[in-house]
Amino acid sequence: MTTSSATPTVTPGSLDDLRDAVLHHTGPLLVAGAGTASDWAGAPEPGATVLSTAALTGVISHNPGDMTVAVRAGTPLAALQEVVGEHGQRVAFDAARVARGATLGGLFATGDSGPLALTFGSLRDLVIGATVVLADGTVAHSGGHVIKNVAGYDLAKLLHGAQGTLGVVAELILRLHPTPVATATVALPTPLGDAARHAHAVAASPVEASAVQWLQDGAAGRLLARLEGTRDGVAGRVTRLRETLGAGADLLSEAAAAAAWAAHEAAVDGGADDRAVLRIGVTPSLLTDLLTGLADATEVTAAPLTGVATLSVPATTAAVEDVHRRVADLGGTSLLRRRPAGRTDLPALGPAPTSAALLRAVAASLDPDQRFGRGRLAPWLPTGVTA
Amino acid sequence: MATPTTTTTGGTTRALAGEFAAFLPEASVITDEVGLRSYECDGLTGFRQVPAVVVLPRDAQEVAACVRVCARHRVPFVARGAGTGLSGGALPVADGVVISLQKLRRILEIDVENRRAVLEPGVFNLDISRAAAPHGLYYAPDPSSQQVCTIGGNVAENSGGAHCLKYGFTTNHVLEMEVVLADGSLVTLGGPTGEQVGPDLRGVFLGSEGTLGICTKVTVRLLARAESKRLVLADFPSVQAAGDTVGDIVDASIIPAAVEMMDSLAMEAAEAAVGAGYTVEAPAALIIELDGPADECDTQFDQLTEICERNGATRIHVAETADEQAKVWKGRKAAFAAVGRISPDYIVQDGVVPRTRLSEVLARIAEMGSEVGLRVANVFHAGDGNLHPLVLYSEADGEHDQAEELSSSIAELCVELGGSLSGEHGIGADKACSMPAMFSEDDLDVMKRVRSGFDAHGLCNPGKVLPTPRLCGEKPGKYQAHPLEEAGVIERL
Repeated sequence: MTTSSATPTVTPGSLDDLRDAVLHHTGPLLVAGAGTASDWAGAPEPGATVLSTAALTGVISHNPGDMTVAVRAGTPLAALQEVVGEHGQRVAFDAARVARGATLGGLFATGDSGPLALTFGSLRDLVIGATVVLADGTVAHSGGHVIKNVAGYDLAKLLHGAQGTLGVVAELILRLHPTPVATATVALPTPLGDAARHAHAVAASPVEASAVQWLQDGAAGRLLARLEGTRDGVAGRVTRLRETLGAGADLLSEAAAAAAWAAHEAAVDGGADDRAVLRIGVTPSLLTDLLTGLADATEVTAAPLTGVATLSVPATTAAVEDVHRRVADLGGTSLLRRRPAGRTDLPALGPAPTSAALLRAVAASLDPDQRFGRGRLAPWLPTGVTA
Repeated sequence: MATPTTTTTGGTTRALAGEFAAFLPEASVITDEVGLRSYECDGLTGFRQVPAVVVLPRDAQEVAACVRVCARHRVPFVARGAGTGLSGGALPVADGVVISLQKLRRILEIDVENRRAVLEPGVFNLDISRAAAPHGLYYAPDPSSQQVCTIGGNVAENSGGAHCLKYGFTTNHVLEMEVVLADGSLVTLGGPTGEQVGPDLRGVFLGSEGTLGICTKVTVRLLARAESKRLVLADFPSVQAAGDTVGDIVDASIIPAAVEMMDSLAMEAAEAAVGAGYTVEAPAALIIELDGPADECDTQFDQLTEICERNGATRIHVAETADEQAKVWKGRKAAFAAVGRISPDYIVQDGVVPRTRLSEVLARIAEMGSEVGLRVANVFHAGDGNLHPLVLYSEADGEHDQAEELSSSIAELCVELGGSLSGEHGIGADKACSMPAMFSEDDLDVMKRVRSGFDAHGLCNPGKVLPTPRLCGEKPGKYQAHPLEEAGVIERL
């Protein structure tokens, strides 16, 4: 374990070290992975010791025959993909910030996901076991190495999307999927207003697109649909998909497809430094009207079939609050993902849900002094207050 | 010996019943001995307990009101759907209240555009797919009891089914839930998309076996029917060869919709009952179903049959028509109850091993069986390593305790081989005492802390999932078939 005194950062190198670090440093703790989402959600209260997972890396065990892998939480997903890729397997997960080195633990704690969520869900669907360390040093395991398992509570779920509150993830066990032999992307230039109609046509056809995303492209936009499978199968489905989408739908070359998805990633993960980036989710059929009603939104990407979108708005309290309110009015969820440096005043969360009291009670039971990620889920989980 | 039935009497019952009667019709508050007795157990009939009161609320508000009465009196309560659970999850608590959800049975919405259904908890699993079918949609998790089990029970148990290998479990299909917490408050968990802000409380609730609250409304995803479906029934010269075949299928990057294995004992029973065309002399058979876009389905199907041949398949029967496919599935689904034809009594076990250890676990089970002179039939979900060994015995010959012991050892063997105590039947009252075989004291303590966050006074289905000294002192009785099961309407795998 290494400890830096200039910035209070501790970097444990093993599960035991991690537990010792939690016990040894008695104040608030801020878990940090690769730092690719350090300004997501609520601003952490200053003064916390940074608990870095940078040295908690590597695959613990990979069982290709069982299609499972156990990995330390600080492992970058890109590195894990390389390891399992050698066996023709993958973690069927493609959040935009993976390319910047995001770790499994960070991706899990922030509840991030990418276009493949349409088919495979998010990490909450792919993680089948976890080892977590709580504020009092308790090390708890749940789930296991088998995909089918209903023994005990699924504790891993509690840390998914918890934004670093409640505890720290030390290890995760994931289910893997075969890497598709062939992949193809068909693109259709279309404005947002028509994207949902086209996306539904894709869904209604038997081509089984693994991802369908719309992204803003200058004044217009384009819909990307990805097909995965066997070589002949994908070729056949490309034809059917182009027929479904009609004139203007083109099969992208390998390079063009890579560029198109990279542009999508850049839009999700980028954004101008002076703007606020929000991630929202609403019932899919409500998404188009919501987005077209947000006149100030730029860098919009949308998944018409899942109802998830990412967008930038001016970094003002009014603009950010407006998004939160509109989404909440539709029964959806919204989260501030990025903000200009120092703008900790921008509201990170929307109105508190009916489950906020339950969240506080569970937090009080697992982390009564709110040591982990204090401020990250404020005001739902208020700072300086224990339930 | 079955656990003796116990009953409760006294003033508490009358006081509670009086409060329930203030907002429920007379017929919806059951306190008479005969009425109560029909709620004394679920599908795990060896465990019985007559509750103090049974209530049948008609909507979420009434469920919440019932829970508030219980909370005020600090009386434990147990939610109950169709009572088909196999681990005693809906076993009543002595002096407690059973809250039946059978009157909350409306399909509130089939939203075709958004591919989701909004349901009350008492809706039968299969009815969701029936309602969605005219739109080319279906609800994927398909527990074998799907004709008679409810979505509320599926939520509590995180139910799977034969097709969960490819399509996942209840937790992968539930977006949003309305839940009554132990204090009677109504909250929403989850949301309209997979996006989350804050911990996945929805995911913790799913599979908590009724110990964290009562689900009163649930929104599930619906899937589009695949273009093509192919089914093969293949016989193998050994269980090992069948197991190797499953491994080769996975290695070929094929994810079948379902892979089921039966051994000769199970096939003998199933064939006697249904006549599905199994080869009873074969030591093992696989039922493999593929689905997807037509071209790829055909290509992979050819690969699949070739893999079967390579592993020495002695017969490959392709079920071409929907009728033929249904027949093969019927035999598989009847196998369990059919075991009653070859043994006077039997115990069903449910455990999981990493799929790569299937052959090893089956060999060990066979050894363990012969050591004590009991036969074990195997019917299981081979694709995901979920075993359902059936321990055959004779109550009349005094073999019960031995069979019970063998069955428990098999579950714990699964844990020893890196698997789980339960793949789909749940822990309930049945296996709570085995939990320390799989989880450390700290693991269980954290689960208890989560529970106390949801339910500070422990009123919600106490005595289930987590081991307690009182619970673990008691012994279960022998398995008794449900009448619907004997009639072949449901089965337990």
